[in-house]
Amino acid sequence: MNENQCVQQVLSGNTSAFAYFVETYQDMAITIAHRICGNMQDAEDVVQESYVKAYRNLHSFRSESKFSTWLYRIVYNTAITHTKTRMWMGSQETEIENASELSENTLEINLEEMDRKEVVSDILQRMQKGDALLLTLYYMEDNPVKEIAKITGLNEPNVKVKLFRARKMFKELLAECYSMEDVGFN
Amino acid sequence: MKENRKEHDEEIIRKMMQPEMKKAPENLKYRIMHQINTEKALTPQKKKPGKESGNLLREMGAIFGSMYAVLSAMVIGAYLLQGKDFLLTPQFIGPVVLVASVFSLFWLMTRLDAYLKIRKK
Repeated sequence: MNENQCVQQVLSGNTSAFAYFVETYQDMAITIAHRICGNMQDAEDVVQESYVKAYRNLHSFRSESKFSTWLYRIVYNTAITHTKTRMWMGSQETEIENASELSENTLEINLEEMDRKEVVSDILQRMQKGDALLLTLYYMEDNPVKEIAKITGLNEPNVKVKLFRARKMFKELLAECYSMEDVGFN
Repeated sequence: MKENRKEHDEEIIRKMMQPEMKKAPENLKYRIMHQINTEKALTPQKKKPGKESGNLLREMGAIFGSMYAVLSAMVIGAYLLQGKDFLLTPQFIGPVVLVASVFSLFWLMTRLDAYLKIRKK
């Protein structure tokens, strides 16, 4: 059964068919929500609210886009409303903010004791929420730029620029933790 | 060369990012489905739009159709029992007028009722 058939089943009154969407996309949904909210408790509430919104508005889902894109857009908007976060600051603001965080945090963290996963998690937390979210969407789910643009409401060139900066920032922060050769970068 | 390096870097970042995927707790699916089922149960089902009270032609057809059916039965009965001449007597025309008046009055009342309902809305 494909997704469109599932959607039709839910619309015709079979709510249990909606479980397929919950099961398939809940991990990525919670990852997105966690990236924006910053904690698991709020992320869970946001994901629950998002799924209920998706169910209520399923009749407005157009099959031209992927269900996942449509759902993640709802999660993104709900999380932003929930946290009242301003996701996209100017690039200068970002760099200044991150530069100050770098100088403050690098001494506090004993990097020798952290494994790679924790380092990545820490780096993503230090990055601006929007940048971390872009990396999450791009690398975890292999979403193309076009889909990311739909989810975040940014235009495609903007996503590309922000993604480039986010990648650069990620590498710079990573370089603070590991030597680049250790990680595998040339 | 530059392109290869870029791809290589991309692959490393991808590998580093993959384990960062959060795992939804076991009960989240249950919570979501429970809320959806509750909402569905509490949401009143959409009622099919009822008969339009002001449907003039349908009402007229029903009331006057019945009237003509009753009158036809009266005519046939009188013809068979009393003969053709009886149909022109006041004893027959009187009840016919009465039946027609009752049905017409009934139709007028339904129209008045429909009008008042619309006005009330």
